[in-house]
Amino acid sequence: MIIVGPSHDTAQGGHQAAGGRKSLKDMTKAERRALQEQKVKEKQGRMAAGLPGSAKKASEQEAHKKVNSPKIGSTSNLAQPTAPDAGKQAKKQQNKLNEVPWLSHLDPPKKPNTASNTNRDLHPAILALGLRFAEHKMVGSNARCVAMLTIFAKIIRDHKPPSDASFSRHIQKYLDPHIAYLLSVRPMSLSMRECIRWLKKEISEIVEEDPPLTDEVARNRLVERIEHFIKERITMADTLIVENGMQKIQNGDVILTYAKSSVVEALLLEAKRSGYEFRVIVVDSRPMFEGKHLLRRLVSAGIECSYVLLSSLYVVLNTVTKVILGAHALLNNGAVYSRIGTAMVAMAASDKQIPVIVCCETYKFVNRTQVDSLVLNEMGNADELVKSSIPSNTNPLSNWRDLPNLRLLNLLYDVTPSKHITLVVTEVGLIPCTSAPVIWREYK
Amino acid sequence: MVLSKALESQVEDFISRLKRRQIVGSYEVAKETAIILRQVVSTTRWSDASVLVHVITDLGRRLVAAQPKELAVGNIVRRVLKIIREVVRGELETDDIMNSGTSEDSDGFSQDSEDDADSDREFKSILAQDTEDTDHTPRPEIPQRPKLQTESSMFNLLVDKNSEDIDYSAKSYNMKPLIIQEINEEIIADLETVYKGIADQALEHIHANEVIMTIGYSRTVKDFLTKAAAKRSFQVIVAETSPTLQGQAMAASLAEVGIETTVITDSAIHAVMSRVNKVVLGAHAVLANGGLVAVTGSQMVAAAAKHHTTPVLVCTALYKLSPLFPYDVDLFNVCVTPEHVLSFNEGTLIDKVNVLNPYYDFVAPELVNLFVHNLGSAPPSYVYRLINDNYDLEDTTL
Repeated sequence: MIIVGPSHDTAQGGHQAAGGRKSLKDMTKAERRALQEQKVKEKQGRMAAGLPGSAKKASEQEAHKKVNSPKIGSTSNLAQPTAPDAGKQAKKQQNKLNEVPWLSHLDPPKKPNTASNTNRDLHPAILALGLRFAEHKMVGSNARCVAMLTIFAKIIRDHKPPSDASFSRHIQKYLDPHIAYLLSVRPMSLSMRECIRWLKKEISEIVEEDPPLTDEVARNRLVERIEHFIKERITMADTLIVENGMQKIQNGDVILTYAKSSVVEALLLEAKRSGYEFRVIVVDSRPMFEGKHLLRRLVSAGIECSYVLLSSLYVVLNTVTKVILGAHALLNNGAVYSRIGTAMVAMAASDKQIPVIVCCETYKFVNRTQVDSLVLNEMGNADELVKSSIPSNTNPLSNWRDLPNLRLLNLLYDVTPSKHITLVVTEVGLIPCTSAPVIWREYK
Repeated sequence: MVLSKALESQVEDFISRLKRRQIVGSYEVAKETAIILRQVVSTTRWSDASVLVHVITDLGRRLVAAQPKELAVGNIVRRVLKIIREVVRGELETDDIMNSGTSEDSDGFSQDSEDDADSDREFKSILAQDTEDTDHTPRPEIPQRPKLQTESSMFNLLVDKNSEDIDYSAKSYNMKPLIIQEINEEIIADLETVYKGIADQALEHIHANEVIMTIGYSRTVKDFLTKAAAKRSFQVIVAETSPTLQGQAMAASLAEVGIETTVITDSAIHAVMSRVNKVVLGAHAVLANGGLVAVTGSQMVAAAAKHHTTPVLVCTALYKLSPLFPYDVDLFNVCVTPEHVLSFNEGTLIDKVNVLNPYYDFVAPELVNLFVHNLGSAPPSYVYRLINDNYDLEDTTL
């Protein structure tokens, strides 16, 4: 967890609240006591039935048992009918059943809690943003970061502190539930967390200002800082990356790119405008088909394009001279955290000695290291996989939830090891990816 | 050489289905080829083996030309040719035993393919003479190839070649049932048992609690894993294999037999590979250098496995072994309709974009650790040897 400061607990609380259960903090004493008693009773019941003590183990064992039973859909053979909470347990198991065991540490895809009473204190703008995040209407780390910061600026501008507190002291407390709400609808991208860290630092600096700032001055300063951050670290950075990246594009290039990155798109369009003659191969993958959006824009700009799916990557790779990719975050060990499939493209290209260029703004450099793609990742909706691109065909997995041994996994990101990356284009220049921690220190 | 009318129409039908890719998949193609060739052997009038070899080669050439990507066609043709040659030689042996000393008039012929150029040329000339004797319609000569100098076995290096010469007299009347029987037993029955032969070795390769990754739908792999699942519990991760989604069908059928199965997107192969112990792939064809043609995406899986030093097993029946060498790997690929990559509904986009949808992938031999075939297992470096055992070198180019 990168988020520091007092928000930590609240964020966790928000997590649980999103899971449909009340957080312990919000319960009354009586409620808490009742819950505890219920748990004890459950445990005794399990012990009596010869199951392990902890609820998690029990449900695992139960799930294991069910693997052997032929029909999983029917509730008749689930759990002990004598148990008072049989229905509840059965439901829990049903949910757990199709979860990939070695990724149980990741949160399943979330549904935003739209019940009006729980979000009463939140700014309506954040609720709207949360919905767009949750439904993947707004994707791409740059777009998400800019949208989030803009909404925060709006919230800060609209915030009226209560009479007994000053703005600078209250704003942090006021923003925390908003951040927690965003966390509850969809896990934050690493770069968003980095932005929030930065914002918190700015807020604490305002508090420490001596003599204390007036509310109006503090508010304006914070809004100004946010706008400046967006401009300097994201918008201007993109312009500079395009400028730097242009050095690497030559006439006759065949550039391969994967999925969609706003900065790669800007770079390719700019190269076309500058009169370079080159060809682009857009590689795409199910189920998101993000590359299609990129393809549409490139084609309308008059760039000669090819379009293939990731599985055919090796067939087109022979003619490619450069691979240009976007990134969600650059980790401190030089690995690139990006859209799932990026690692594959980078690996294939570096196997064939084709340079792999990653375009990444420095605000996406994070103080985190990761050597595999599974420790930290995000789960997408598994049902997305069942959607077929061939509408006439009936999908073989349409009834996957009825098959007890079948799980569908829709991961959203992967980690590309630094050995596959030739160059990172940032607004401060062209660097090897292993220099990420050096740049990150500069901005800390 | 003309085939009978009924057979000719059957062949034409098979050719057009091959051309239209209405019959796809090594097993189906191999089986049908074998059945047609068996019929050719039984219904065509021939009096000596060279005529038959010629007919089969001619037909084989036509079938291969109809669909050069279905390498199993050529493989079965070569197998049949090898059987014919073996029967001819085998019969010569028995003849020799039975009528030893009665055939002084004929020239020498050696049963080993390693003998010198003379005797082979003599063999051919005898075959030619024989057909003339029996008043067959004139036909083009079998093209003479430069003699291949090969040793079928190391032990033969030490054998005195001249002492092996056998007297030759071609009596073909009892060769026909023998050849048909051999085709039935060696090829058609073999096709039925390959799955079992491969699956029976499953326990030698899969240990308990293993995590196995596979891609595409392959009956060979499915049977292999199913057999192992009867004794051991393990997990399978299947890449869904877009755009055909064969992998999803594979996952569904594996889950039905009780194997813990996880479906992932093709893009997640690299991410998930760190959890995988073994990769098991099916093959469409295995080429002479030990590389293989397989469903699209296979190379990606094999390459990712290589980076994680995960062993890659390929389950393949011997009839998928082809003596062709992949000088140009694109030659073995075929591009199918791009509709499933970019829908035709996106008309404005599709006519400005070059959309590719290749059906196969070529996996280089250095990415494969082991071929599990129906008679055992072998590393890619040994594949050439298996090919030598299965086909006659004369037939490499049909």
